[in-house]
Amino acid sequence: MGEVIVVTSGKGGVGKTTTSANLGTGLAASGHKVVLVDTDIGLRNLDVVLGLENRIVYDIVDVTSGNCRLRQALIKDKRYENMFLLPAAQTKDKTAVNPEQMKQLAQELKAEFEYAVIDCPAGIEQGFRNAIAGADRAVVVTTPEVSAVRDADRIIGLLEAAELYSPKLIINRIRPRMVKRGDMMDINDILDILAIDLLGVVPEDESIVVSTNRGEPAVLDHNSQAGEAYRRITKRIRGEEVPLMDLDVPQGLFDKLKRLVGRR
Amino acid sequence: MMGDWQMMRTEHVALKGTREGLALYLDPELDFSLLMEELRQHLEKSSGFLQGAKVRCFAGENPFEEKQRLELTNVLNKYGLNLTGWFTAKDTGVTLRSQNGQEEDKSKPILDEGMVEGTCVFVDRTMRSGQKVVHSGHVIVQGDVNPGAEIVAGGNIIVLGALRGVAHAGATGERKATVIAFLLTPTQLRIADLVTRAPEDDEEWRGPEIARIKNEQLIVESLVIGGRRGKGKAR
Repeated sequence: MGEVIVVTSGKGGVGKTTTSANLGTGLAASGHKVVLVDTDIGLRNLDVVLGLENRIVYDIVDVTSGNCRLRQALIKDKRYENMFLLPAAQTKDKTAVNPEQMKQLAQELKAEFEYAVIDCPAGIEQGFRNAIAGADRAVVVTTPEVSAVRDADRIIGLLEAAELYSPKLIINRIRPRMVKRGDMMDINDILDILAIDLLGVVPEDESIVVSTNRGEPAVLDHNSQAGEAYRRITKRIRGEEVPLMDLDVPQGLFDKLKRLVGRR
Repeated sequence: MMGDWQMMRTEHVALKGTREGLALYLDPELDFSLLMEELRQHLEKSSGFLQGAKVRCFAGENPFEEKQRLELTNVLNKYGLNLTGWFTAKDTGVTLRSQNGQEEDKSKPILDEGMVEGTCVFVDRTMRSGQKVVHSGHVIVQGDVNPGAEIVAGGNIIVLGALRGVAHAGATGERKATVIAFLLTPTQLRIADLVTRAPEDDEEWRGPEIARIKNEQLIVESLVIGGRRGKGKAR
């Protein structure tokens, strides 16, 4: 029996879809049988990020409304045999699916896959309630901005109310230099407020823009810092213990000397 | 027996939080129109908090004529209160006299100076953005109150963690109400009709703090453990 993981955030644009794509691809690269589910009906993106846009025939609404069988709607990834995408519908809206149908869908997916990663839409309305309905675990994505953290906090409260306890946190798009200057919230500031377990920290990385546009998840790019962060996150999801990435800003000679002197 | 604690009390009108909801005491001796005027003023101060609350009225043994009752109902409705019934001295077990201290009530627990009795809500978790607790008595949170969360209490508020959201103590007009938190950096703090904000970017921990009204001003100071709060003057 597999596991259903929902990736959510409340606020839009913090990296839910990027995280879903990289987490799913990372799990597939580790040999797991994975399905990615896009629940952002009407604003589908996950297919684009994975580069599978031109292969869509049926979508999630076709499945839940009985227009087709689940197997017909699943799109096989172009890189991994063991990874599939269940795309969102683009011409409908969030009300085209209800939480009860999502629960049933989750059961079907769990029977066949080791991991089902659900990409949740922004907001706290029906799209969100659909996405979390069948989930076993939740991953909350935030960026080091007060507004994103506030929304993450709200989401954690709503997840708890829906009996999805102890969600895990991903802090996305952190910029170590800005943190060091005191211009950006640091990890501890965020954990102080949200008080949940940290799953990973992803640094801001230009290669994400490139990989998103090309439809090739960064997790496969071994030169990308964000890709490394996602590989570590993938391992932690699988239950391995991996240290946080070293995000320290390279130090100047003077700092190094000061450290050497101060050590004793 | 009602667990009553002193709320805002003007000369002839008193509104109290009790275990069974709000109780409104009206002095039956006073002229009815004056009484209504005083009630209006009283409700004006505590508007907002009371929306939708149920209230029972006490006005001695023979409470008003039909017409007067109707007027009272209208006044209460105007401020969002629903009159749900009447009670007399028999129901409360406390006569007006005993409230004035002329008749000792044996069943009452002995309260020393600096002790307050009242109903209380325990929140056994961290309150997150969008969560709200409204209670006519005291509120105690075992956890943090995050930005975007809100507590409205008729009595005192105690947060055994960081208070970063909005807290309103003494919301029915009780100016003696206090707010205590392990870390007191609220988005906004209100006691009775006074409002204040925490200083910007001030998250340095100075130990537990207490907010209360002193000389018509809402002030925050460090919570002196072991100090007898009842004897504020002695400090």
